This record gives sequence, C-alpha cells and structure tokens, in this order.
Amino acid sequence: MSRTAKICCLLVIGLWLLMALAPSVLAPGDPLAINPTQAFAKPGLAHFFGTDESGRDIYTRVIHGAGDSLAIGLAATALGMGLAIVLGTIAALSPRWLDEIILRILEALYAIPSLLMALLIIAFTGPGVGPAIVAVGLSTAPGYARLVRSQIRSLKNSEMLEAATVLGRGTWRKSRNHLIPNALKPLLALVTLGIGQAVIWAAALSFLGLGTPPPAPEWGAMLSAGRTYLHLAWWMSLFPGLAIVAVAVSATLIGRALGGKVKSL
Amino acid sequence: MVIPLAHRGKSLLMQRNSRSSRILAGAFALPLIGALLASCSSAGSTGSSTQDAKPVTGGTMVYASGDAEPSCLDPHVGGNYPQALVASQFLESLFTKDSEGKIIPWLAEKTEVSEDGLTRTITLHDGIKFTDGTKLTAEAIKKNIEHLKDPNTASSTGYLAVGKVVRVEVKDELTATLKLSSPDNALLESLSMPWTAIESPKALERDQATNCTSPVGTGPFKVASWEHQKAVNLVRNDDYVLPVPNDQRANSTSYLDGITWRFIPEAATRYAALQSGEVDVIDNAQPDTIASAADAGLGHLDAPRPGSANRIELNSSKAPFNDQKVREAFIRAVDANTGVGALFFGTAKRSYSLLSSVEPLGYSDEALFGTDTAKANTLLDEAGWSERDAQGYRTKNGKRLSVRFPVSTNQSVPAEQSLFEQFQAQAKAVGFEVKIDLLDLSSWYGALAKHEYNLVSAPYTKVGPSVLRVLYHSDSTVPAPSGYFANNAQVKNDKLDKLLVQAEETEDEAQRASLYEQAQKIVLEGYYVLPLYDQQNHFLYGKNVHGVGATTAVSSPIYFDTFLDQ
Amino acid sequence: MNTLAWVGRKVGGALVVLWLVASAIFIAIRLIPGDPAEAIMGGPGSQASAQALAAARAEYALDQPVITQYLLYLGKLATFDFGTSYSLKQPVTQVMGEVLPNTLWLSLMALAAAWLLALCFSALAMRAGRIGSQVGNLLEIIAAAVPHFWLGAVLIMLFSSALGWLPAVDNGTGHGLVLPILTLALPLAGFLTQLMRDSLSEAMGSQFALAARARGESRLKLFWRHGLRHAALPALSLTGWAFSSLLSGAVVVEAIFARPGLGRSLLSAVLARDIPMVTGIALFSALVYIVVMAISEGIERMINPAGESR
Repeated sequence: MSRTAKICCLLVIGLWLLMALAPSVLAPGDPLAINPTQAFAKPGLAHFFGTDESGRDIYTRVIHGAGDSLAIGLAATALGMGLAIVLGTIAALSPRWLDEIILRILEALYAIPSLLMALLIIAFTGPGVGPAIVAVGLSTAPGYARLVRSQIRSLKNSEMLEAATVLGRGTWRKSRNHLIPNALKPLLALVTLGIGQAVIWAAALSFLGLGTPPPAPEWGAMLSAGRTYLHLAWWMSLFPGLAIVAVAVSATLIGRALGGKVKSL
Repeated sequence: MVIPLAHRGKSLLMQRNSRSSRILAGAFALPLIGALLASCSSAGSTGSSTQDAKPVTGGTMVYASGDAEPSCLDPHVGGNYPQALVASQFLESLFTKDSEGKIIPWLAEKTEVSEDGLTRTITLHDGIKFTDGTKLTAEAIKKNIEHLKDPNTASSTGYLAVGKVVRVEVKDELTATLKLSSPDNALLESLSMPWTAIESPKALERDQATNCTSPVGTGPFKVASWEHQKAVNLVRNDDYVLPVPNDQRANSTSYLDGITWRFIPEAATRYAALQSGEVDVIDNAQPDTIASAADAGLGHLDAPRPGSANRIELNSSKAPFNDQKVREAFIRAVDANTGVGALFFGTAKRSYSLLSSVEPLGYSDEALFGTDTAKANTLLDEAGWSERDAQGYRTKNGKRLSVRFPVSTNQSVPAEQSLFEQFQAQAKAVGFEVKIDLLDLSSWYGALAKHEYNLVSAPYTKVGPSVLRVLYHSDSTVPAPSGYFANNAQVKNDKLDKLLVQAEETEDEAQRASLYEQAQKIVLEGYYVLPLYDQQNHFLYGKNVHGVGATTAVSSPIYFDTFLDQ
Repeated sequence: MNTLAWVGRKVGGALVVLWLVASAIFIAIRLIPGDPAEAIMGGPGSQASAQALAAARAEYALDQPVITQYLLYLGKLATFDFGTSYSLKQPVTQVMGEVLPNTLWLSLMALAAAWLLALCFSALAMRAGRIGSQVGNLLEIIAAAVPHFWLGAVLIMLFSSALGWLPAVDNGTGHGLVLPILTLALPLAGFLTQLMRDSLSEAMGSQFALAARARGESRLKLFWRHGLRHAALPALSLTGWAFSSLLSGAVVVEAIFARPGLGRSLLSAVLARDIPMVTGIALFSALVYIVVMAISEGIERMINPAGESR
C-alpha cells in the first residue's frame, strides 16, 4: 500500500470513528429533540440536511446515527467472523469426513440468500436489533468460513508448520501460534469489505420495519421514515442513504487497499 | 379479532374546507348520483369537476389499496376494514345510512320491532338476485346470520354485531323474524355494516376456502378472479337491481365494466402510480399528498369511519395510570394539536370525543384536553411522583414513572407513529418515561393480551354509539379465550355499565341520546382516553375519474356511480 | 471425473444441503419457547382458535414423539408437501407456484442486465485513460454500495414522478419491469465490473497478452478475444452467488414496486409469522440456489473442461 493510500485510509477510518464515538463534536445538538413547528424544513443554513416530520435536525441525526449503524455492522461482522473462524478452523484441521460435514453445513447456510436468512430468523424471533445482528452475522458467516478454511489448509502444509510439527508442538498450539494469525491477514481485508455489506443489510431490515425502531437515528430506520414523505421531503431519504453509501464505499476502498477482492464475499 | 385490522390514513381534511366541500359535492352530485348518494352516507369529496362530466359507460378502473391483501374476501370471516373496502363493491347489506346518518332500509324493504323489543321482523325487496342466480329471500337472512354465528366461520366483527340474535325464523318468502335475547336498538346499525352483508345462501354452502376467493352477493360488481398479490378482478353485475330505485338510474348497472383491485403497500409507489395514471384511485393516501392533491389535479374523498375516534387509551388497571391524577397529568403534558396540525397537514381535525364525528350521538368536551404542563407537574407532585432521577424522570419510592406504549405498525400510520414520538418527547419534559414499542400485529395483540401496556391506540369501527358498550363496559375487560379484550382502558364503573346497557335497550331516541351522553362524560372526565382525530379514510383519484362519493354505512366507497373519461 | 459421476455427486450434495436446511428449520420451531403449534399458527397474539391449534397439532403430529414428528416432516417435504399457509389458507406449493415465475423472470432479467452493463463498463474502462479508469473504478464501487431499497425509491421519484418516463408499477405493457430490473441490476453490475476488472488486468498483463500486443493486435481486439474469456470465468462462477443476492434484493424490490413474487410472499409471511410459508420459501430458494450453482458449474466445465479445480 502506498503512503498516500495509507494516510487516506487512516483519515477515513478516523472520521467514521469520530462520528461513531464522539458525534457531538461534529453535531452538538440532540438527535431526538423534536420541534414540530419546524417540521419538513428544507436543507439550509439553519439545518444543513433539513428536518424531518417532527422537526428533528437530519444532519444531527445522520452524524449520531453513525454509532448505531456502524455498531450493528461491526457486531454482525464480528459474529459472522467469529463463527467462521471456529467452523473454518475445525473444518481445515479435521479428518475428511468432518470437513465434508462442515462444508455441507456451510453450503446449506450459503444456499439461503442473506436477506431471506435474516427474514427466516426474524420470523422465529420477532423483529429487533438483536435478531437483525444475528441474522446478518449468520448469513455472512459461510462466506468467511470458506476463506478461513482454505487459508488454513494452504498454510497447513507450509514450512512453518512442518517446523512446528518437528518441534513436537500440539495441534492447538500450532493453530494458535501459526495458523490463525496467518489466516487472519487476508481476512482483515475481507472483513472490511463485509462491514460495508453488513451495514447495508442491517439498514435493509430496518427499512422493512424489522430492525432498529424509530425514532433512534439509525440510517435504515431514518430511510424507512423518510420514504413516507418521499414526495414532500426528499432530503429525509437522501442524506441517510448517502451515509450508507459512503460507509460501504469507504469499506470497499479500504478493503481493496488491504488487498481484498470482491469475489471472496 | 378486532375490527380495524388496518385502519390507515387519518381523519378529516381541513375542517372548514371539508365542511363546505362536502356540502358542495353533495349538492352538485345529487342529481347525478341520485338515490344512491341520498341513501348512503355521503362523504366530503373535492377535486375533479364531477358535476360537469356526462356519464360514460365502459372502461376498467384500477384501484390501488395500501392495505395488506386480505386473506379472505368474505367479510364474514374475521371482519376487517380492507375486506369491507373491496366487499362493498359486490356485497350489499340489509340496511344503510342516509346522508344525515339515519339508518334506512337497503336490501330490506321495511322492518318493525315487537313491543317487548325481542322480535325484529325484516321484509326484503322482491326481485333481487344474487350473481349466482339465486333469488334473495328470507332464507338468505337466516343462512347468513347462522353463517356469522358458526364458530367455523371464525367471524369476529360480524359475530359480535349479531350477538343478541338468538335465532332467525322464516315467515314467508320475503319475511324473516329475528328473535333477540334482549332488546337491541343498535341491531339495524349492526346490519348496515359490510361485515354482516348478505351473501348467496347457495354460495355459502361451498367450503370456506372457495367462498373466500369468490363470495357471491347482490352488489353492482362481482368477483371474476383473484390473482394473489396482484389483483382482485371485479366485473360489472349485468343483472344488478338497485334496491332503492331512483329516476335516473332506475334500471342501471354500473358505468364501469369492472375494477382491477390492486395492492400497492408502498405509499410513495402508490402515489407515483396515481400521478402517472397507472392507477385511478388510491386509498390510505398520505397526509402530505392529500394536502397537495388539488394542486396536482387530483380528486379527494374524505370519508371518516364511524365508531370510535382514534384515541390513546390509558390502562387504568395498573400503576401509574390507576391514579386519575397521573392520567390527567399525561394528557395535559402532551400537545396533540401542534403535532396533528403539522403531521397531518390540516387533513385531520382534532377530536375531543370518544366517537367519530360522523356519529350523531358523539359528545365532545374540548376543555378537558387543553395542554397545560404546569398543571401536569402539579398533578404529578400531588400524586406523589415528586422526586426526579438522574435522567430527569420522576420517581416515587425509588420507582421511575415509566409507561409502556406498544404501537402496531398495522394500525398506526407513519404520521401517527411520529405523533406518538412527539408525545414521548413532550411527556419526558414533565418527567414521564414513555417506552414506545413498534410491533407487528401479532406481537402487538400479544402485548395487549398479556397486559404489557400502559398506553395503547386501538381504533374500533362500528356503526352507531353502541361501540361504547364494546369499548367501555366492564364485561369487555374479561378476555376472550384468545386473550383479546376490547376495553383497553380497563374502565370498570357500575354506573357506566348500567347506562350502556340501558342505552342499548331503550326505544326512546331522546333517552338513548341522553344515556349515551352521560356515559361518554364518565369516560372523558375520568381521563381514561386522549381523543386524537377521526379514523382517517382518505381516497385520491385521477382527473379522469368522476362520480366518486357514495359510501356504505362504514364509509367504504361504492363505485356504482363512478365513470372514467374515455 | 466423468459427467455422470459429476451429476450424481451434485445431486447427492444438494440433497444433503436441503436436508440440513430442513432440519435446521425443524429444530428452530421446537426451540422457540412456548407451544410449537402456536408458533406455527403465528405466535402468541395471533389468537389462533383452539380448533386451529388442534389442526396444527394434527398436521405436524405434535402429539407424537419428536423423532416421529421429524420423520413425518421430512417425508412430507420429500413429496413437496410444505403444508398449508396459515395466513393464506392455501397449500404453500400452490402459492409459491403462482408467484415464482414473476420472481425468477425478474431475477433472470436483472442478471442479464447486470452482465450486459458489466461488459459495457469493462470495455469502456479498457479504452479510458488513467483518470477515466479511476473515476470508473469509483463509480463501480459506488454502484455496488447503493442499497436496493434506496435506489428503487430514487428511481421512482426520478423516472416516474418527476419525468413521467416510466411507470412505477406494472401496467401490463412490460415497461413496468424496467425500473425494478434497473434497481436490481445496477448494484450487481457494480460488483461484476469490479470483479471482471481485477481478472481483466491480470489477463491483459499476462505473458500471452503481452506477446499478442507485441504482434500488433489492438487492445480492444485483445480484450474481446482473450481478456473477456478470462474476465468472465470468475464472474460466471459467481453467478450462483449473484442469483442468490438477487433473490435477497427481490424481497425489497417487490415490496417497493408492488410486484407479486416470492420476496413479497416471504415478507408478508414473516410479518404474519406464517411458519409453513416461510419454511417453504426458504427451502425452495435453497433449491434454486443449488440448481443455479450446478448449472453455472456445468457451463464452466463446458467452457473450460480442463478446469483448474476450485
């Protein structure tokens, strides 16, 4: 990665972190404060992104929404990746029959489209943030798990491991000291790409009314509220939508800078 | 179980406007729409110059509904408003409402009640046929009421409406007598609703799945086919007989060849489709689009539903709302007027009544509901909620003043959800913590059945003031086997119970009015309810559509007089 | 591996996958706290009548031992009996049969459109200069990042409400398909283009390509003759994934554009907690995915019989 690219990536990550962790620095207002007499104000100097149906400031809400939206994306990705590491590692290090079984399970998970999987889980649990995270996490796990498995398999026969085996280390220590860290590197790129997708899927669930409930300033929920007023107040839909696109684009750019390829998703 | 599974779209359009436009529309449309409009309740209609256009026969109208597609087209089964909207085209009721809100015969020719009020005789018009060729006879009344009362039908709305009918006897071909368990002055109102509409007895003998896809009635249209998720296709009933004839449309059938009844749940898509002319009429119109309809060259029909107004009920059976002071404090703390004005763009008129503005016996008292945060604070101090915690919420004995508010995304339109969010913020200012839970319908019913609510909005559509008994009699706090109960405010008041029973049994109109007024006062003055606005029922139609305005007793439009520019 | 063995292996694998999906759903229904009959009928608050609950118990043999229930359940699925949708009161297979062609058609058209767009973008990118290529790159990434639900709304506002060029909902002319297809195809095209470009630059930078260039073949000709094949292969192998992502997108797109289809059925089934319907659709889409995967692998085998095994 070039020096400029590194700096750019760090800057972008820094900006998102700032929005997520200290939104008040960029938007000192209260994202939930209502002002019914100021409803549907157009974007302008008083309200950069306009106001919504209850007169809440959309700029403030978009900035404060970064925390919720990114947290959901990160949590879902973490869940998916955690599961993937467990399944992928076991599969890679197991005898062939167990590997086959896990592969079939992964394929079964993979066979159900992500959003359908999410809806399936929500059909059982009912809507909410928790189920949305679980749903998105589970549906991304198989993709990650395959990569983990193939990474570990290719490393398994590498010299490093042979050396470790010669030295008589146990399987677990081998995994901990060599396999897992080496498999993790390319995964980092993939995870970055995945976070963008997770944010989109989580927003899609909120948009369908199955994720974060309003008035929380989550981007998908804001879009869901905004679509009602699409004909009157386009700004209610535009800015949260742009925020989602911006996160997904940042994630893709950083992921690619880290050497990730879209196809692994 | 309950009626208004989907009430969407909110109340009156700008009151002054709506009043005048309603009169205007009525005056202009009268010669044209004739008896039907006169005999059905008319609703406010503005927009296209209906009065100038000359009726043309032909064309298929495309209707786009925002409601969920019903699982059964027979409104006897279950019984919700989306079913009523479509069934009003192919089923008719024994009675209907005239423009003054008076109940008049429709399929029935005349009716009388015995001295003791326990026998109701209904005589039908001669010469009316169902679309399957069966003749309308007294036997049909008997079969339909039995169908409603049959547990296998799983009727809830219609079942409750004919609750006092013990049995039906056929006296002669056109006369039936209904034997009642106790006098019921609301029976004719009950029989005016689409949920008790008369279907062909022969068709009712088919299995339920079949009857659900093609109910057979006497209406101006009939069901030709139902392509799930796509459309219900209605075609003209060429043998239609207007039960109450009038000069202009004496031997008429509908102008339209048919109606394609589509389901487009996305409000923005529905409106875009209307704008671009792919559909002719939409329901559940969003307030902002209604407000700009005239500028967009669209017609608007405002038909508030009868029965209860939309209101928030305060659960008085448990803390903190078991204390009247706390109930009043909540009601005084929120500012409904500003929110309703902004969110509904003047299309919904604020209500101070338990009943819909179309109910002549509704009693209204604005003084009880003025916003007064100072008073709210004083009341809460008096009620012992005088401490505040770190987040600014009031506490009493270390317990936070917290209330749960499950909101159904089916029952509350987006504007209403936003209004509740505003209430949440306003109530916080005096120290209430309001926890809003947006729930899908089944979770919402679940929360109510388990008493996991302090506030709830659950509108109920029914013709006539007898809806008050359903909603506020202490019997309605007793859950049905399913866990459902209609008295969400949990009002238990002996005096009120007596008034409601008496009001339903009296034969004296003036006494009935006075009893219902006393009953409404008790509920309003007890601060069990925060009235908001009528149950909204707005329709928008393209400028090529004329003759929209006639409705059934429950304010569902009938498109018998409607025609399209060719 | 000969073709027959390959087919046998695929079918066997597919059956195992379907069995796993079915079993997971079976276990999930039992894991929900409370009465499974109630869960089947829509959960607490659905106010299912005692009769309906009894019917569900009978249909799912809930009074039998769990293992019997499981075998009966699998037996029914094996005969394509997914039960009766409790919200629509019709056999699940019938409902799916009615709406499935819509979704398949929409997805196939979107897939074709996405491929077409991706090919055009890639060819354009070949000719663009350094800056143009960078801009193109960014545009692809943006396209891939746009959520369906947002894109659909924006397209309706733009082309239907504001410009009046295209209908928002189907009006019988087929024009109603344009916006839904675009909504589904644009993000996918973004993905495919990124993918094709990665392999394209590899292919065009390869020894073979350099030699061809040295022989004086034009870049564009080389792209068509050589690069495309290399670029398309990895993208083709992703067709299964792409199709599956289209099915996800269809849930949203069918809701926005009011199109009948599997996605819309699923969404309303989820809202109604219609477990038989949800189960049926999930199993069915798994089946579709497996079939599409097998077909795309088959095509790969034909194009590239030597096949670097994946």
